[in-house]
Amino acid sequence: MRNDHTREWSMLLALIAIWAFFALKEPVFLSARNLSLLSIELAVTATLALGMLLVLLPGQIDLSAGSGVGLTGAVAAVLVFWHGAPAPVALLVALVAAVIIWSLMGALVVIERVPAFIITLGGLLVFRGLHWLVIHNQTVPIVAGSDSNIYSQLTTWFLPAQAGYLLAAVVVATIVIISLRQRRSRQQLGLPVGDAEQWFMSLFISGQVVLLLVTVANGYRGVPMALVILAAIALLVHVVTIHTPFGRYLYAIGGNEDAAVVSGVPVRAVVIGAFALMGAIVALTGFMQTAYSGASTTTVGSLMELDAVAACVIGGTSLRGGRGTVIGVLFGAVMMTSLLNGMTLMAVSPEIKYIARGGVLALAVWLDLRISGQR
Amino acid sequence: MTPVLEARNVAKRFGGVVALRGVSFDLAAGEVHALCGENGAGKSTLIKLLGGVHPHGSYEGSIHVNGVEAAFRSTRDAEDAGIGVIHQELSLFPDMTIAENLLLGDLPCRRGLVDWIAVQRRASELLTSVGIALDPATRVGDLGIGQQQLVEITKALSRKPRILVLDEPTAALSQHEIDVLLTLVRGLKAQGVACVYISHKLNEVFALADRITVLRDGAAQVTVRAAESDANAIIAQMVGRRIEDFYPRRKSAPAGEVLTVRGLNVARATNKPIYLREIEFKVRAGEVLGIGGLMGAGRTELLLHLMGLWGRRLTGSVELDNKPVPQGGVRAAMEAGLAIVTEDRKRFGLVLGAGVAFNLTLSSLAELTRHGLIDASAEVRTASATATDLHIKMHTLESPVGTLSGGNQQKVVIGKALLTEPRVLLLDEPTRGIDVGAKLEVYELINRLTAAGKAIVLVSSELPELIGMSDRIIMMHEGRIGGSFERSQATREALLAAAMGRPSERAA
Repeated sequence: MRNDHTREWSMLLALIAIWAFFALKEPVFLSARNLSLLSIELAVTATLALGMLLVLLPGQIDLSAGSGVGLTGAVAAVLVFWHGAPAPVALLVALVAAVIIWSLMGALVVIERVPAFIITLGGLLVFRGLHWLVIHNQTVPIVAGSDSNIYSQLTTWFLPAQAGYLLAAVVVATIVIISLRQRRSRQQLGLPVGDAEQWFMSLFISGQVVLLLVTVANGYRGVPMALVILAAIALLVHVVTIHTPFGRYLYAIGGNEDAAVVSGVPVRAVVIGAFALMGAIVALTGFMQTAYSGASTTTVGSLMELDAVAACVIGGTSLRGGRGTVIGVLFGAVMMTSLLNGMTLMAVSPEIKYIARGGVLALAVWLDLRISGQR
Repeated sequence: MTPVLEARNVAKRFGGVVALRGVSFDLAAGEVHALCGENGAGKSTLIKLLGGVHPHGSYEGSIHVNGVEAAFRSTRDAEDAGIGVIHQELSLFPDMTIAENLLLGDLPCRRGLVDWIAVQRRASELLTSVGIALDPATRVGDLGIGQQQLVEITKALSRKPRILVLDEPTAALSQHEIDVLLTLVRGLKAQGVACVYISHKLNEVFALADRITVLRDGAAQVTVRAAESDANAIIAQMVGRRIEDFYPRRKSAPAGEVLTVRGLNVARATNKPIYLREIEFKVRAGEVLGIGGLMGAGRTELLLHLMGLWGRRLTGSVELDNKPVPQGGVRAAMEAGLAIVTEDRKRFGLVLGAGVAFNLTLSSLAELTRHGLIDASAEVRTASATATDLHIKMHTLESPVGTLSGGNQQKVVIGKALLTEPRVLLLDEPTRGIDVGAKLEVYELINRLTAAGKAIVLVSSELPELIGMSDRIIMMHEGRIGGSFERSQATREALLAAAMGRPSERAA
């Protein structure tokens, strides 16, 4: 996994080419305002994609994620706007409901052995229908009038400039300390470590990127709340996948389910757990996406499951399970979000956008098969 | 008269392993010639040469059909030369009808469309000609395994072969179905079709065969006329050589009983017939209990059942240190002190794409977890110690297991089981497909483990290994214990007789 960097480099080049293309065609692309919007869109797409990673790793898939985004956002919006529930209560209710529903889907997949593709395809349609029923095919705002609540602040609240810089400093310091400790302990245990110069450069560059990100964000309204949420989710999913037995089991099940069973891996509990986490992440994404739209409408969340799968696959996650990383998925999400945002700026018509989205998805899966076939 | 089929001095090797070393074999028209030998004696390899599975050029020696040398490049060539092979594994499509299966390669068509009426008619004709009363419109998956075997044979006969090769055709058949098959083969013989017949069941062999050839260690030992031989003589030939000093079993003083199995009756699933019957055995600490038997005797199923991975227990008990082993699944069995090394390591043993350390610690992550997080350095230390201890040769602990040699992969599977700190280790064919050096390492490891007071259950198809490494041996036959032996009384003849369900030999 580590010795062949061809894939990583070609993906990075492709991303730079995409950014250069949009920057030349539409200079607004690199404006602080657009980058700030882009980062909110990224937060939404990437959060869902990180949930998708948890489901793809054990070799499952969730096609209902996009509809779920619409439904959870709608439930919370209806509770707030029509029933006058306090926003935190509304969000909590929708979140808990999502966790329960996704756990049930996971149970159907792993206990009744109905393929996840079918269960979640059913979910896609059922949740879309429920979504429209819940909002009576209307537009339901997430907050009354021009007020704000915790729901709307998900995408309208920005960190003050100083807090942003402080956050950047904390993030960079954390990365450096963790990386340093890891390197030391690998050396002590006699495991191979990369070239020291390369390691320093990669740390230096990540530090620069974080700082640049905050500076650009502060040039508009500050670091968006949504981006902080994404960072927290990314850290969480990273720790879960790499540092917990649960995460280890996700890779083992996806790598060879029969061997996992014989090795005593609690396959059912792990897969249901992955779906439960996916439910929570779907709800969180639903809140952010609905907040970003300002209201729950019939189109919120539509096709987002495919963007999430595309982000995962572009980032090197295998659709057969057993392979994928948080960093890769974040990268894939940046790619998908940049494409969509850039095309919107260039006023590309919706029909062409659909075609481009589909093309990228198919291309990414084909590349994935080519590359995993070579292994 | 020229033999219809003849193999002259054929030899075949797979890498460093010699499967056949210069075997000569001939088949006369209208003759049934039986091939006998233990698992791994080279029967299946010989069949694959005759059937074109291993193409011309991949073996030494020559194959002649009606006196003319044949150079089969594929199974198709062999079929064209009139050789029909019925392999042990069925090659039918369960979701298609009998008719579709029979005529699949050659569907009758009219104007480019399949003529389904002609399909039914021809299938009926084929079934009638073989003497099988089945509706050709039946889905093959709805048939019993014995009937499927008959369909498979009908399919092979539909090409009108002059030579028919049957590789253990009765392994899965009931007595009635076996009778149908034997009658069928006799009928073919009367029509002048020559048959090569492979079976472990010597009573069938003597009921059918004109001549019998015994293979052992890839060489033909003897060819005899069936009328001039008997079962004991054939078994003696199959067993042959004495056991060399290849097996370095050092007996350790066995202590108290660790694993006690009583009156076990297990079915494949609810409402299925009983598969394992009245299984009883004990294993003491520091002891190796060998379990032998033919393929399908239920050895693997027994081990998997002990781990909670297979079957439904109807009666009986399994106790470890006088405490019942719960049936709640692998995790529960592991916590009780059992661990298993499965037969098919690629399918059931390893996550091939993941690293050595990942695989080694997969069953014992709980011990390496602090506050919900895996202690990475403890994991590396544990994995590293195990790899050193078992002499696992690898690039780094993170190298994908799939890149290791077979022997080293097997050591990873064993290491994973040992890290659960079992009291009893179940080994299912632990040396299959690994080289001699790695085999010896596995035997040494068994000695070390028993010296340290662990109990081992060793399932093996290789009699020398079983006799060489076990302190006591039980032989299984069709889901039952066919005989049990102390090491001192375990001769190959006695074991083989017990494996074949010939209890009269048990006392020998």
